[in-house]
Amino acid sequence: MAKMINRLILKYRIFRIEKLQAKQEFLENYRDIQVFRQDKLLLSATNRIEETHQEKLRGFALRAGITTKYIEQEIKTRFEKAETKHYWEKRALNQIMIRKAKTHKLDEAQLEVIRNKKLKLLDDMLALRKQKITASFEAKAKNPEQAVALYENNSLLLDALFEKKTQVVKEKYAAKTAKIETNKKNQLERIAQNIKNHKDMIGKLTKDMPKNDNGLPEDVILRLDKLTMRFGGLVAVDNLTFDVKQGEIFGLIGPNGAGKTTVFNCITKFYNPPSGLMYFRKNLVEVILLNEYPVHKIVKQGIVRTFQNVELIWELSVLDNLLVAAHSLFQTGFFGQLIHSRKLHQEEAVLRKKATDILAMLGLLPYQFVIPFGLPYGILKKIELARTLMVKPKMIILDEPAAGLNESETVELARIIRKIRKEYNTTIFLVEHDMGLVMDVCDTICAISFGKQIAIGSPKEIQNNKIVRDAYLGEE
Amino acid sequence: MRKLTNFMKQQSKQFASVVKHPYFGFILFGLILLFTLYLRSMGLVTISIINAIVMTMIYSIIALGFSLLLGYGGMASLGTAGFVGLGSFIMGYFSGVLHYPLIYTLGISFGVAIVVGLIVGFISLRIEGMYLAIITLGLGEILRAFFISYDKFTGGYSGRQFRNFTLFGNAVSAQAVYIIITVLFVLAMIATLNIIKSPTGRALLAMKNSDSAAQSMGISLLKYRLLAFVISTVFAILAGMLYIMYIKFSYAPDWNLSFSLNILAAVIVGGAQSIAGIILGVFTIFGLNLAILNYIPFFQNNSALMVIFNGVLIIVVVMFYPGGLIRLLQTLKYKFVLFIKKLRIKWKVYKYGKDD
Repeated sequence: MAKMINRLILKYRIFRIEKLQAKQEFLENYRDIQVFRQDKLLLSATNRIEETHQEKLRGFALRAGITTKYIEQEIKTRFEKAETKHYWEKRALNQIMIRKAKTHKLDEAQLEVIRNKKLKLLDDMLALRKQKITASFEAKAKNPEQAVALYENNSLLLDALFEKKTQVVKEKYAAKTAKIETNKKNQLERIAQNIKNHKDMIGKLTKDMPKNDNGLPEDVILRLDKLTMRFGGLVAVDNLTFDVKQGEIFGLIGPNGAGKTTVFNCITKFYNPPSGLMYFRKNLVEVILLNEYPVHKIVKQGIVRTFQNVELIWELSVLDNLLVAAHSLFQTGFFGQLIHSRKLHQEEAVLRKKATDILAMLGLLPYQFVIPFGLPYGILKKIELARTLMVKPKMIILDEPAAGLNESETVELARIIRKIRKEYNTTIFLVEHDMGLVMDVCDTICAISFGKQIAIGSPKEIQNNKIVRDAYLGEE
Repeated sequence: MRKLTNFMKQQSKQFASVVKHPYFGFILFGLILLFTLYLRSMGLVTISIINAIVMTMIYSIIALGFSLLLGYGGMASLGTAGFVGLGSFIMGYFSGVLHYPLIYTLGISFGVAIVVGLIVGFISLRIEGMYLAIITLGLGEILRAFFISYDKFTGGYSGRQFRNFTLFGNAVSAQAVYIIITVLFVLAMIATLNIIKSPTGRALLAMKNSDSAAQSMGISLLKYRLLAFVISTVFAILAGMLYIMYIKFSYAPDWNLSFSLNILAAVIVGGAQSIAGIILGVFTIFGLNLAILNYIPFFQNNSALMVIFNGVLIIVVVMFYPGGLIRLLQTLKYKFVLFIKKLRIKWKVYKYGKDD
């Protein structure tokens, strides 16, 4: 009885740690976004102040009527305006002349006369306009010395005001960001303390408790034990037994119809195998039996898969597809979603940032708002790969990732798979027909034929194995 | 002057942020509908237009729930009429005859809605597509037969009139009912939008597109199918309650297959994934004859042809615009903008000549 209670307490502690870690991650990401938003707001506020400041200065300069650079500038811009207007009028005149020549059947000489007349008129107009502009500014610059003094006085005042305003705004935002930072620090410290406490308790509890790892060595993440799957009379997988080690890239190969995809479907529980056990190391202290979990809870244990034929949501954009993949990470309940609560907005902001980061890593950023329907096959495969990364998986299962890709895309895929293994610290388990990719990328390979294991070992061992050759090429 | 323009600029920015808010359109629509009631009190709008508006609003609430089921979950149900009838009789009996407080009536009807939704949802787990439609059709017919035979409660073949609804102790006037219906209609639109734009809506779409992908990403088919059915049933029963409050008469044989099919047609004609499209579809199926066709002399003389007009419209829309009427409007708008742009360029070339 005491043992049972202890085990329950242990489970509860592990559950709490997971929740706290999720909260930690959320806080870190969300506070970053908040600080970023504050910076943006500060920038826009200072810009606005500067704009109004310049506007006011200009107004003062004009009102004072002084012949400083402001008036020169003003005259210049107005001249430019008049000249552009003149240019368009000339072009319109040209068109009119062409039409006139057609309708009235005038010859070149007559046309030239009329055109010159009108052009002269237009030029006169331009000169008149320019005169008016200069005259209006001259009237303003009557008493230059007094005006300059007034202007300088005013501008000094304005500058002081401007500096004061920017100072106030900056202080306000600095205080806000400092508050956010301290808040974040405090919360994170509290959470870290909590996690530490839980871990200490777990250490105490597990000290005098028999290990609950079903005899799984510590470096093994997945063990299949005599897995068998039958469809009617056909035995698709027959007494299959192997271990997948933590952090390796494990390849499963075999001729067509050997039962590779069936093995995947058994692990992710799309099929319920009639006999055989599947152990999975969920975390350091817990080893779970995958047979006991339904399909939709597998992803929460840390296993994600891709599909042989691309299975995306064709009515949603690529970014939304990634958000669907993060479905198990949302913590807001249904009523929170019904009223679009604040927490939902925050969670979405965090997950959106995560999704854009992943898309940037895979070079898919240009496609983020595109509906995936009609995109090239290589990109669809990459989107599926990106989808698996949303949930921080412990093991990624890839079902024929290179099917339908050309040679250069396959080379890039190998690079991406290695990168993912390194950056996300996961185990990758893949089925592939492209022997080049498998031999290039895998640490361990398991060959099966008609559901039975025929060889397991490093790529070199598999290449030199006679049984594998026979299975692929036929016996001589 | 410059100060004024600056002020206007800043205000326009704020105004734009209000206009671009997703709820703005719905609330504006609701306000326009309330303004129509004011026009009616001044005598500028006829009663048949008010009736058309109310019917469109009530049936739109049903169609909104139905679109979550069909457009997002990919499940067709033909039991809608039964649920609406259930809502109308529950509201009529408990609030109109027994005079229970509103909260009790709401509790009873939502309880019934959730139970019925769960039953249909469990059925839907094993059955898909056309067969699901057939089974829900059977369920709707069972409910109709129940209404007809249990005449103590529903009045059977002669229908039953429910009067004297009270709200917080006061009798409710027709105008108050109109306002209640408008408010609930706007709330239903907002709730639907929120569900569509949240993880639940995406999960429903994922389920519609690929069962296996949805499951592998942690979406439980059981949970979301049940949820979709419960939401659509709650919407249907709410609409039934509003119906009995406005019409004050419920006729059991009316809640039959043709009503459910009309709702299905409205959702498909309008556009199953757009809220504006659904309202447009409901208006074309249910409100068009009351609001517009009644005033055309040809249809006044041959009132039977109104149904034929509807039928032809459905055929044309489904054949040429599978995305619904809303898609037609969108393409028209797009083409109009393009046309204006082209016209402007042509005018420039005519006036100033081509650029070198």
